[in-house]
Amino acid sequence: MRWRGRKSSKRVQNESLQPHAAANPDHQPISGSILADLAAVKESIGHNSDVRFREYRFGPDKIPIVVVYVAGLSDKELINDYIVNMLLMDGDGRHINNHELRDYLFDRAMPICELKEASTINSFTSSVMTGAAGLLVEGVAGGFTFGESQVLKRNMEEPPSESMVRGPRIGFIESLSHNTALLRRLAKTDSLAITSYQIGDRAKKEVAIAYISDIVDPKLLEEVKRRITRIKIDALQESGYIEQLIEDDFLSPFPQVQNTERPDRVLAAVLEGRVAIFLDGTPFALIAPVTFNMLLQTPEDYYERWMIGSLIRMLRYLTAFISLFTPAVYISFVSFHQGLIPTKLVFSIAASREGVPFPPLIEVLIMEVSIEILREAGLRLPKAIGQSIGIVGGLIIGEAAVQAGIVSPIMVIVVAVTAITSFSIPQYNAGIALRMLRFIAMFFAAVFGLYGVILFFLLLGAHLVKLKSFGMPYLSPVSPYRVKDWLDMIIRAPLFLMKKRPDQLQTKDQTRK
Amino acid sequence: MNRLPADRISTSQTTIILINMMLAAGILTLPRVATEKMMTPDAWIAVIVGGLISMVIALIMVKLCEQYPDKTFYQYNQVIVGKTLGSIISLAVVFYFLLLAALEVRVMAETTGLFLLQGTPIWAIIMPFIWIGLYLTLGGINAVARLLEIIFPITVLFFIVVVFLGLKIFELDNLRPVLGMGIKPIIDGVPATALSYSGYEIILIIYMFMQNQEKAKKVVLIGIGVPLIFYTLTLVVIVGALSVEGVLSQTWPVLTFIRGYEITGLFFERFDSLLLVIWIMEIFSTFIVSYFAVAMGLAQVFKKDTKIFYWGVLPVVYLIAMTPKNINSLFAFGGWISKFGFVLFGTIPGLLLLLSYIRRKNT
Repeated sequence: MRWRGRKSSKRVQNESLQPHAAANPDHQPISGSILADLAAVKESIGHNSDVRFREYRFGPDKIPIVVVYVAGLSDKELINDYIVNMLLMDGDGRHINNHELRDYLFDRAMPICELKEASTINSFTSSVMTGAAGLLVEGVAGGFTFGESQVLKRNMEEPPSESMVRGPRIGFIESLSHNTALLRRLAKTDSLAITSYQIGDRAKKEVAIAYISDIVDPKLLEEVKRRITRIKIDALQESGYIEQLIEDDFLSPFPQVQNTERPDRVLAAVLEGRVAIFLDGTPFALIAPVTFNMLLQTPEDYYERWMIGSLIRMLRYLTAFISLFTPAVYISFVSFHQGLIPTKLVFSIAASREGVPFPPLIEVLIMEVSIEILREAGLRLPKAIGQSIGIVGGLIIGEAAVQAGIVSPIMVIVVAVTAITSFSIPQYNAGIALRMLRFIAMFFAAVFGLYGVILFFLLLGAHLVKLKSFGMPYLSPVSPYRVKDWLDMIIRAPLFLMKKRPDQLQTKDQTRK
Repeated sequence: MNRLPADRISTSQTTIILINMMLAAGILTLPRVATEKMMTPDAWIAVIVGGLISMVIALIMVKLCEQYPDKTFYQYNQVIVGKTLGSIISLAVVFYFLLLAALEVRVMAETTGLFLLQGTPIWAIIMPFIWIGLYLTLGGINAVARLLEIIFPITVLFFIVVVFLGLKIFELDNLRPVLGMGIKPIIDGVPATALSYSGYEIILIIYMFMQNQEKAKKVVLIGIGVPLIFYTLTLVVIVGALSVEGVLSQTWPVLTFIRGYEITGLFFERFDSLLLVIWIMEIFSTFIVSYFAVAMGLAQVFKKDTKIFYWGVLPVVYLIAMTPKNINSLFAFGGWISKFGFVLFGTIPGLLLLLSYIRRKNT
């Protein structure tokens, strides 16, 4: 290892000896001699075909200035406006000496809010490459950069991954500043704090966290900040990267950070005392901490009247349960405990399984795996084809497999029910987690019957009680008991009863006001 | 072991640990065990008396624990009676919990083998069960407490529903006459019923982890009160349904009782196996709490890391669980453990409390 290290350091030295790279390019200052500076900038980024240089002369003394920008990335209108403005002023007709020049430019000629100074070639070029326009002036040590990259954005539309019947039809987009602005516009409170970080060793991406400063638990906030600043990666592609790099237990099948495209969901979360994390370039915001319970809730539960909200929520708990256990229970009843179910049902199951050559586990596996394949195929294909895949798959599974005697009709019902229930879980990745676990449950049931199902339940319970999301027990408020929070667990109590913020989040300000 | 903040358990968690520790396999045979000695339908009175006696003992234990709020029983008995004697007492307690853990595992395996998985070898039933127990206990007292919080409502609700569904075969005449043979049989029956409460000794060990230790008295009163109601209810309903003779002739009277009625029109027809399945969780909870007590006791006596003992105790539990040859020797084994525990915990905490008072006066 040592030998290697030495070798690589040698290579770096060799490179720096080459004529086109100046000594230590990182800290080479902008000297004020425009020819030298321009040469250095060109050496650094001039080989890119989309980097443009444009020279002007300014004032009665014809001071040379150069504008550097990236075509398509920098805001050309902004450049034109300000450069034209600057040239028109023409130094107010005065002869400006080198000492005054910087101040004159800064105070008079460039009346722009985002004018920054860059002292080294390196900081200058990196600003240019991220979309700012750069300005070099003869006789001024240090360059200027102004403006930021043109935002390539789409319209804010209803998020396809979280559609709702009732609620705002607006979702986040791929631009961080627009997302935070949207949140701020909806929040309408001055205590909404947004702090941003530059994360990534190679590509510095902006990560912002949003919280309500007088609600959030300071310990939670500290923990989120600590985990985010600790991230070491070359480039963050999507908020899923952040999620995986800050989660508590990478071995758990359960998502420990929530993701959403809905600003109303984020707003509700920060108002409860949770912390939202945004990444530039993705519409998916993260919310931490999360409990299993929260994954089964939607904002719509709160928009509808409480009875509807509560009933639908209960339905979702039921579907989670069915999705996880139905095939396992089916296997254990059919293979082990026929005596437990009514005799007539036993007969009809037995009759329908007549001629099926496989044991129940294999039968279930065939069907469950094929429905997972269908789901995946339908998801990846273009929408129009995806639907036809559904029809073909449905026909094959529903009719042909039964008629061919591979599976029994009752099996088709079991698989269909589990598939539909797992889709009705609002959080996509939580649904997948349950689907994964369903297979484990099936194996337990195939070996031990109902005893296996109970063992699986205990194992799952043992895992879940150990799991934490940012220090918050994953199963709370069910375990540990937080009775105050039960108003918003399986039922969704009328709003006037929920005067307190969730106890489990230990907010600074417990009362909703 | 330090009392880290993360290792604290709330008052409700402590109560639930106590209740779950007491409710276990014992309840499935309780009607027979309680009635055996007395031969009268008055066993339920004996159960209440037994519960009250247990409460008194538990209060003595709490009093003892209050002397040393930041030490477990394993640690402070060395302070009271010296290192050697203290270690011996601790090892006896560890031995008791070890036997209890093994007993629960074996009873679970026997009933499962009988009612659910005919033909499956005992070892195959035991192995995954204790492995899951190990996985859980590695998470410490907090994980144990939280899982028990999930298990408790499910099992208790299900049990109550199942018992109440059987009310239609309940006949009050089976319970009459009350006190028909006087008080004597009740006094005879009390020791047997008091034994059915074994499990509350765990307060000696978990007291240290309590967040609000001043509520420990309330905890033991509620913690024993709930099983007391539970046991009484079970006894009344089941003796009422099966009669004294019927109860005595059954190995698992509770399961027989549930098999005695049939609810048609539901998805399930028979609830005995179903109750057993649910009750496995209750047995599991007793097992893991005892297991936790064993590992922690050994760790504190030998001053080593607890994790080693979590792994090390596992094969021992398995071997002890496999020792009884058949179900009769298993029941004999269970009776012996209860008596051992009764002697151990009926005398030692009281003596230690006295000694600690004397010690305190002298210094």
